[in-house]
Amino acid sequence: MGFRKILRRVGWALIGCALLVFAFLAYQLFVTDLLNDRLQAQAMEQLDDELAERRVELPEPEIVEVVEEKTTTTTVVRAELLKESAGEIGSTLGRISIPAIDVDEVMFEGVDTETLKKGPGHMPWTPVPGQPGNAVISGHRTTYGRPFYDLDQLVEGDRIEVETALGTHVFEVRHSIVVKPTDVWVTEDRPGAWLTLTTCHPHFSAAERLIIQAELVEGPNHAYAELVRLHGGGPEQRT
Amino acid sequence: MRRLWDRLPGPAPVKVVELLVLLAVLLVALFFLFEWAGTFLDSGGVVGP
Repeated sequence: MGFRKILRRVGWALIGCALLVFAFLAYQLFVTDLLNDRLQAQAMEQLDDELAERRVELPEPEIVEVVEEKTTTTTVVRAELLKESAGEIGSTLGRISIPAIDVDEVMFEGVDTETLKKGPGHMPWTPVPGQPGNAVISGHRTTYGRPFYDLDQLVEGDRIEVETALGTHVFEVRHSIVVKPTDVWVTEDRPGAWLTLTTCHPHFSAAERLIIQAELVEGPNHAYAELVRLHGGGPEQRT
Repeated sequence: MRRLWDRLPGPAPVKVVELLVLLAVLLVALFFLFEWAGTFLDSGGVVGP
């Protein structure tokens, strides 16, 4: 085989490799977005009906005692924990909105590969968002609709709203950190009610994880979570 | 391409079917390759062992 023939074959092989890389990037950066757009649109259409089916009637705040002092009136209300559990893996869990970075996505139960293709997924072994403890939600950073692409732009105080069958739970960002993919301590329970968002870091790499931790500041279980955080549990809270 | 066509066994209509099957196998293989390689680009952000 002559030198020119070898050179021609190497050239064709390189062109083939370049086409393969181009096709890979086009698939990951565009085709997966299209697939996700379709799945999200379908899920968003059905979301209201699905949440309405599972909707829980919230009890009126029960006043236990009214204490009138010289300048202030203190109302003591019963702070009940309103429990909520997640559905089957792959099912719709609710909606997550982060106004600061224009995120508005349907989220699902589970963090397996297929579920995360549909949108952000809730780690099944952590509490549902709004329940006491640490609810963890993971999402793609650069593919499949890239719901958490701009997560690094969140700053302390930014609001994260999570709508579930129980109602809307509002969290405020407290801090963000970058950890190793195996640092499972970020998913451990915390006093009060917390939401932890996890995604790949940096962009276009799965080498690390960007972690955003936010604390519940409004919602059906806020009073109870605050009570647990301050006193380690109890049936009543002063407002 | 022409060499590949000549190497395929059978008459022309059978060769067309063989080519289509080959193309389908290639696309499925590419899909799995891309899905696997995609986990290095973005694994979904899950934290775990």
